[in-house]
Amino acid sequence: MKIAVCIKRVPDMETRFKIAASGTAVDEAGLKYDMSDFDGYAVETALQLNEKQGPGETVVISLGPDVVQEQLRKALSMGADRAVQLKAERVPTDGLVIARALAAELKGGAYDLIFFGRQAVDSANATVGPMVAELLGLPCATAVSTLDIANGRGTARRDLEGAAEIVEFALPAVVTIDEGMPRARYPSLKGIMAAKKKPLEVKPAQLGEERLTLEKMELPPERAAGRIVGEGPGAVAELVRLLHTEAKVL
Amino acid sequence: MANTFAFAESRGGALRRVAFEAVSAARALADASGGGEVHAMLVGAPGIASLAGELGKYGADMVIVVEHAGLANANVEALAATAAARIKAGGYRAAIFSASAQGRDLAPRVAAQLGVSMAADVTAFELAGDALVVKHPAYAGKVIATLKLTGSPAIVTLRPGARAAVEAVREARVESAQPTSDPGASKLVVKEMIVGGGTKLDIGDAPVIVSGGRGLKSAENFKLVEDLAAAFGNAAVGATRAVTDDGWRPHSDQIGQTGRQVSPELYVALGISGAIQHIAGMRNSRTIVAINKDKEAPIFKVADYGIVGDVIEILPVLTAAVKEARAKG
Amino acid sequence: MRTENAVFLLVLLLAAGFFSYNVQRLLSYLSIAQPDDRSGHPLVRLKNVITVAFLQKKILRDPVAGPMHALIFWGFVVLTVGTIELLLNGSFPAFSYAFLPSQLYTFYSISQDVFGALVLGAIAFAFYRRLVLHPERLEGDGLEHSDALLILGAIAGLMVTMFAVNAFGLALEPDSITRAKPLSLALSIPLRNLPTGLLTGAHAVFWWMHALLVLAFLNYLPYSKHLHIVSSIPNVYFSNSQGPGPKGVIRFLDLEAENVEQFGAADVDQMTWKDLLDGYTCTECGRCTSVCPAHLTGKVLSPRKIIIDTRRRLMEKAPLMLGDYSEVAHHALVHGEGDEGSMSATAILEHRLLDNFITEEELWQCTTCRACIQECPVGIEHLDHIVDMRRNLVLMESRFPPEVLPTFESMERNGSPWAFRPDDRAKWADGLDIPTMAELTERGESPEILFWVGCMGSFDDRSKKISVAFARILQAAGVPFAILGQEETCNGDPARRMGNEYLYQTLAKQNIETLTRCDVKTIVTFCPHCFHQIGNEYPQLGGNYEVIHHSTYIERLLEAGRVPFDTDAGKTLTMAYHDSCYLGRYNDVYDAPRETLRRALPIVTMVEPERTRDRGMCCGAGGGRMFMEETQGKRINIERAEQLLATGADTLAVACPFCMTMISDGVKAKGSDVPVLDISEVVASRLRV
Ligand SMILES: Cc1cc2nc3c(=O)[nH]c(=O)nc-3n(C[C@H](O)[C@H](O)[C@H](O)COP(=O)(O)OP(=O)(O)OC[C@H]3O[C@@H](n4cnc5c(N)ncnc54)[C@H](O)[C@@H]3O)c2cc1C
Ligand code: SF4
Ligand code: SF4
Repeated sequence: MKIAVCIKRVPDMETRFKIAASGTAVDEAGLKYDMSDFDGYAVETALQLNEKQGPGETVVISLGPDVVQEQLRKALSMGADRAVQLKAERVPTDGLVIARALAAELKGGAYDLIFFGRQAVDSANATVGPMVAELLGLPCATAVSTLDIANGRGTARRDLEGAAEIVEFALPAVVTIDEGMPRARYPSLKGIMAAKKKPLEVKPAQLGEERLTLEKMELPPERAAGRIVGEGPGAVAELVRLLHTEAKVL
Repeated sequence: MANTFAFAESRGGALRRVAFEAVSAARALADASGGGEVHAMLVGAPGIASLAGELGKYGADMVIVVEHAGLANANVEALAATAAARIKAGGYRAAIFSASAQGRDLAPRVAAQLGVSMAADVTAFELAGDALVVKHPAYAGKVIATLKLTGSPAIVTLRPGARAAVEAVREARVESAQPTSDPGASKLVVKEMIVGGGTKLDIGDAPVIVSGGRGLKSAENFKLVEDLAAAFGNAAVGATRAVTDDGWRPHSDQIGQTGRQVSPELYVALGISGAIQHIAGMRNSRTIVAINKDKEAPIFKVADYGIVGDVIEILPVLTAAVKEARAKG
Repeated sequence: MRTENAVFLLVLLLAAGFFSYNVQRLLSYLSIAQPDDRSGHPLVRLKNVITVAFLQKKILRDPVAGPMHALIFWGFVVLTVGTIELLLNGSFPAFSYAFLPSQLYTFYSISQDVFGALVLGAIAFAFYRRLVLHPERLEGDGLEHSDALLILGAIAGLMVTMFAVNAFGLALEPDSITRAKPLSLALSIPLRNLPTGLLTGAHAVFWWMHALLVLAFLNYLPYSKHLHIVSSIPNVYFSNSQGPGPKGVIRFLDLEAENVEQFGAADVDQMTWKDLLDGYTCTECGRCTSVCPAHLTGKVLSPRKIIIDTRRRLMEKAPLMLGDYSEVAHHALVHGEGDEGSMSATAILEHRLLDNFITEEELWQCTTCRACIQECPVGIEHLDHIVDMRRNLVLMESRFPPEVLPTFESMERNGSPWAFRPDDRAKWADGLDIPTMAELTERGESPEILFWVGCMGSFDDRSKKISVAFARILQAAGVPFAILGQEETCNGDPARRMGNEYLYQTLAKQNIETLTRCDVKTIVTFCPHCFHQIGNEYPQLGGNYEVIHHSTYIERLLEAGRVPFDTDAGKTLTMAYHDSCYLGRYNDVYDAPRETLRRALPIVTMVEPERTRDRGMCCGAGGGRMFMEETQGKRINIERAEQLLATGADTLAVACPFCMTMISDGVKAKGSDVPVLDISEVVASRLRV
């Protein structure tokens, strides 16, 4: 099968982010980058499908400045066959602009499957995948936690709040990959060496005008430090109250 | 004086809480823009129209009811086409969906069909001239982005629970509509709907994990932990390696560095000291509660809320309190 | 020359020829291996040969089998001198050592008899031990006793025929110069009355028996584990297990070399010649396996099996690789062949050492404790085999236990094995007024030492207390020191031990860059893994620093009287100290922690567990085991905790944060509340405030 996986370069979410002087970005000093977790699952899913189902091609695509080649190389070192960078000075904020650029690239590709992560872990929008599907007129299963592909059809599970649905669709299709799918494999050194020789094509991204723009970035109010609510069974009432009103988990 | 569109989500013939939140948010937006109407779209199997009145309670002036046998389960392609056509026809200033699993599946398709941009998972919004300015938590909630959405209609998905639904009772008119595309022709269909309950939640999926450590003293006392999990309704039971080693719980319940790594909404650590190997597996939980008799226990350093005391004594009280809170809703 | 002499000469030449043919074959098999330069430091290597091979230092660590083997070995050396005389004499009847000064010749004669008798005694004991006592370490790993019994029998035969030859000879010529052999002489007395013809005949028969036995023995060696008689001397010479250089240093892997496509080893031809020589040399004595913590707790790993498998595989593959497809070639030269004789050449070539002989499971069970290497009497380095195969697993095939993935990823992204924020690294020092290197540099100051905290000391709650204790000691002693703070990252040891050389080198280079930038000369750390890694392995990447473990450093401070103690004499404690492998066996630091404890607590009673110092048993955390689940057998840390608790100590002391976790977990699991303390905590608790 011919599978495309669209991946995004994101900073490590463990970081304690600071806001850059511009006020519209996080301070990049000292950040470590990787491909977004769900995108990693997506690459892994594609590789496993092609490994299991015989000859195929896994193409990874990333839109952004030249640094995204690092993540493309990582995907290649995991086993993807080739990579495409849609070169742009920065990743647009507007998902539709990204989706259009990707759709233009994917359109003539004759892909059986196009994978995305459920959402990029940094911008957390989850819009690009279904938009691309819509632009290409393909069926799209979003946020799937299981996926079976057989005889030109796909079956997937989508977890909803407190429920789940099993969906079925015909290929070609767009699928966005969620938790539950296999984690990205650890690239072997052999894979890293091999990746250096695999093709990585750079093309300009066709970007339209953005109608969603970033005005400001700020840190949320410091989460209250952990605290001892009280001692013994007597403290239970207060705990439950806090869980309800403050943490909103009850 | 533009009108605002809201998508009212339902499941299994009943409205979901997020539907009221969406309608209520649309009401606020309409009011802010000088008092346009709120039109809510309600889709489902025949009979769903009976719920229309409920939406009026939260400020819908009109409910567009789309009844079709093929829409008993969400049929996202038919929904997207129908909503997009209606939004376009209605000339709305904004369209509000929920940032639920369904809404996040649906809204981007609608936006793409209409060729407009959208803002996802917003927690707040306000009108600023032509634009809609929204807040959106990004970077795993560690950064709040303020975004400006221009163009019309402005499509947003609203984070569940971010804005409580406020009553603004109206007598909603009902307009019946047909799906724009034949649900039977959708390329993606829901084969089966699995409604929660029944099946035991896996610790990887459960929104709440109640986890026990050696402080529980015996396998029998895990009954108390299971009771608490049952009281939450959506909880799974986890354990430390000390516990799985002693065979009080199966190895598959072990949470930590060499066990499962979890990040539920709520993690309740009962009689757990908080060794690094355990913390490595649960520290990304959104809210952490710890109960331990030793107030120096390292688990309190990662906990948001702690109770110092005997877990055996506290557990039944906590279970009862959680049951009560859940019953209140 | 008489006919019989000529016949013997022919036999001798044939035997020597066959032997050298086989030796050459064995040597040619080494040619398939990878290079490894072990030519340096000939003097240290010679010293190792003298102590380990000739003085039998390692062999004698076993109080029972040790003297037995040493006697056989020394006897063998002494008697070989006699054997040479005998063989030459058989071809050239005029030859004997009689030309030697008479006193020397007398001494030589006596030595032959005495050692002959001693060897015979030792052989008798060896038979008894194998057949009656059945020591555990000689069992398992699919070993057969027949080879050993055959060899013991042959040696016994050699001794008996030697005495017979001498006795009959002396019976014929009671005044011969060889009469200085007391035992032979005594044996000859009752024979003197026999007819001369019979005596001559018997002498000739025994002489031939002895000579043929010697030659048969010689030619049996290449088919037997007793090849070690020949190979152990070069193996000990080339072994790095006793130095030269620091012990236990993992071989450097050049990741930037051009055209290298194999990293680590999956088969014998990817191993070094020393690894293969190890295979030839293994005597199957099982000393390694008998001390292996994994083996002792019921796991499949047996270091002996790793070595024997290397040899078995070499024997089946090397001939084919060298184009020798003959039936003999299939037949293993050295003892230990499996059933590969029945396999086709293609099938053999498709096999490999990894997976077909040695499983992944075995390899991951190793704690890299070095106990096996410490015990091996013939300089075998098991860890080279194990780490090289782990390298192949990780670097070539990305195969490792699933729980290791987050560990690798965190080391890569966050610079520590757990996904904690790197900017929280120095949080433990909040409010303690400890400057970072960067702060000092800004002020234009430089500290006396850099306190390298390590990941455990930075992030693990229990170990943070050790960081604080050690910092308090330094402050009390007035030592100007600094930490790196956020600039410190994991030293890379777990990655390296788990075979991830790529990740290791990335981390190590980053640290070296930081240390060089900060112009660091002296580093003190309480983590033996950081200590070993930075001090002994960073030099491979160009990082050279003086690295001191806190046990040594505190001992020095105490000795210099720089630590202000409370006058209160302190509590009386009975303490058992657990040796960390990376401090002890890797770096020979045994006394400093004990001395530190004694000085800190004048009223301490030290008790030693049965396995202690260089025989100490691993806690189970090394070699990356700290980050893997232990699924088979008993937990190593529980076994070790039991051993420590059995001393009756009321406090356990450790000098490693990983040991701390393991031992305290073990103690807790036993339901005991004996406290486990780091040596610095013992000292800090006595500081005057
Ligand atoms: C290689 C390795 C891997 C490991 N992997 C994991 C892992 O994946 N997951 C994991 O969990 N651990 C793991 N561990 C074990 C870890 O080090 C700890 O030993 C373990 O987490 C401790 O479990 P615990 O908190 O239940 O027990 P303890 O540490 O014994 O803590 C019990 C706690 O209960 C409290 N307590 C006692 N009685 C009461 C009471 N009546 N009421 C309230 N509190 C009470 C005590 O104060 C104490 O804090 C690993 C260890 C190693 C060496
Ligand atoms: S290093 Fe230790 S654990 Fe590994 S094989 Fe040798 S004795 Fe066993
Ligand atoms: S490797 Fe060394 S210790 Fe182990 S069996 Fe062989 S000779 Fe003995």
